[in-house]
Amino acid sequence: MTRDDIVLEVKDLKTRFKVGKKIVNAVNGATFSLKRGKTLCIVGESGCGKSVTAHSILQLLPPVGYIEGGEVLYTPHTGDRPKSLSSMKRSGRAIRSIRGKEISMIFQDPMSTLNPVYTIGNQIMENLRHHEKISKAEARERIVRLLTELGIPEADRRFDEYPHQFSGGMKQRVMIAIAMICNPNILIADEPTTALDVTIQAQILELMQKMQQEHGTSVILITHNMGIVAEVADDVAVMYMGRVVEFGSLRQIFTNPKHPYTRALMRSVPVLGMDRSQELASIAGSTPDASTVFTGCEFANRCVHATDRCRNHFPEDREVEDGHRVRCFLYEEEMKQ
Amino acid sequence: MLKFIGKKILILIPKLLLISLIVFLGLQLLPGDAVTRTVSPEAYQYMTEEQLEALRDSLGLNDPILIQYFRWLGRFLTGDFGYSQASGSNIAQMLAGRLPYTIELAGWAVVIADLIGILFGFVAAVRKNKPIDHILTSGSVLGISVPEFFFGLVFILIFSLKLNWLPTGGRMAAGETGFFSRVRYMILPAFTLSIALLATLTRYTRGCMLDVLNKDYIKTARSKGLGDFVVNVKHGLRNALPPVLVLLCFRLPILVSGTVIVETVFNYPAMGSMILDAISAADMTVVMVTTMVVACVTLIASNLVDILTAALDPRVRLD
Repeated sequence: MTRDDIVLEVKDLKTRFKVGKKIVNAVNGATFSLKRGKTLCIVGESGCGKSVTAHSILQLLPPVGYIEGGEVLYTPHTGDRPKSLSSMKRSGRAIRSIRGKEISMIFQDPMSTLNPVYTIGNQIMENLRHHEKISKAEARERIVRLLTELGIPEADRRFDEYPHQFSGGMKQRVMIAIAMICNPNILIADEPTTALDVTIQAQILELMQKMQQEHGTSVILITHNMGIVAEVADDVAVMYMGRVVEFGSLRQIFTNPKHPYTRALMRSVPVLGMDRSQELASIAGSTPDASTVFTGCEFANRCVHATDRCRNHFPEDREVEDGHRVRCFLYEEEMKQ
Repeated sequence: MLKFIGKKILILIPKLLLISLIVFLGLQLLPGDAVTRTVSPEAYQYMTEEQLEALRDSLGLNDPILIQYFRWLGRFLTGDFGYSQASGSNIAQMLAGRLPYTIELAGWAVVIADLIGILFGFVAAVRKNKPIDHILTSGSVLGISVPEFFFGLVFILIFSLKLNWLPTGGRMAAGETGFFSRVRYMILPAFTLSIALLATLTRYTRGCMLDVLNKDYIKTARSKGLGDFVVNVKHGLRNALPPVLVLLCFRLPILVSGTVIVETVFNYPAMGSMILDAISAADMTVVMVTTMVVACVTLIASNLVDILTAALDPRVRLD
């Protein structure tokens, strides 16, 4: 794997939230990379730090959140020197010229992500005209074309309508239009289909894939839906308690999961056609509080293979096969051979 | 939209009629009548029952109450407000000499309160938990809880007596009627009158802004690469304003009671002192008219709310 085809690399990212006097380790060492033109899925249960990781990439954190360590490296074009997004000033000019133009985001709930007092055309135009010097007429034409492409009927009329006049699925299409209007290199989608019903989910995913193919966009998709992962991912990062515990290609993760957490996660997903009498496996124990400080592996308390070493020492990230990385002591022996 | 505004104005008419009826009937409940209040006690002593009765007859006080009400209403609607029972002067002329000055005073107070209150609230919200936020929020608690007359006296003490910058009271100097010579007399009363509203607006704007800044569309705006100021004003303040304006409209009538006090403190002869004098002299004809003026202001203000909300929020269209 050469460095060149990596468009975004996140190295040991640590994001903290200061809640009162308590420090919450929302992301505690996330390492993964996104290949140019490919789709990376970040999966994990609720509260594992998926969203915070995504927001940390563009430093779109709330005032109480801050990046404490690690690095986010972005390579705009093959062969460029990577830019460190994490060392840019939070709302400085440098990162703002990347937000919305080169890296854009789609959020979970389209009902609340559009500003109710401006027309949708106005809101898409805001992004386009902020980053490109073009006339209003030109911008409008381009937006209407994109909206039509995204399957919004009568786009020219609907351009002047307000968000409350759109359905949920249509609003998410508008969000995609806001994100895609500047042809970004990377699209980060934070659970874009969670708030939509199942048939609309499929349409939105299809649209995102279509956009990706036509514009050559690299996508980071955050989800907890394994079905979506299986369908769209090229690579998968599995997160648990703010850490990426396993990272690899879709095939590696699905056919050869290594980390006990990934394995447990896979067993807990229902599969179409599975034996009905078979009970779905659940993961023993519950997710620890996010402010817990660990001396060893975060999963040790719920892991069937855990030893004293797991509880007291922190496993390093190791590559078990080409591009397949796991944070677990179980595979140390394998590596030595 | 025009149809909506028209409808709103039409609804005002029955409301005002009802209020006038209530005020009229309410004043009938007070002890005594126009005769006992207008005839001086000395003359009253020597008047016979027949003479009093004849006077009542000539004033129409023996007619049924509803007839009296409609007679009053008819004159009121044609602009004949009658005469003061205490001084005998024409009420319409009294109003003409005072109402504009109160409107001017209250108008400036609203402008000051709006501009500064919304600005303070905005700054406090954007700098939440920073020193400036603490200063502004504790300052606004002070502004809400300390009564106007106290601020008035403190202002007079500092700006008029110690620094000698501004006059202690009055409406204008003799012979100086121009706007700029009047402004000097208006600064202290207008600021004093604005404080309570300003403080309320500061707190409310801060609350609304914080609420809005937590919304997802603020994140969307930031994800477009917009600068903090654009995000806070165009996406934040724009959405925080409608509830603030609603509050403002509902608080407008409070200015009326505020003017009563502030005009007294600053010896500023306008509506407020007219209401005060009328009530203490039991001057019912004046009380009746001034109460109607206050009722009109209150009703118009609260109807303004609906119109403003419809104008500011695309989701509200009440055609």
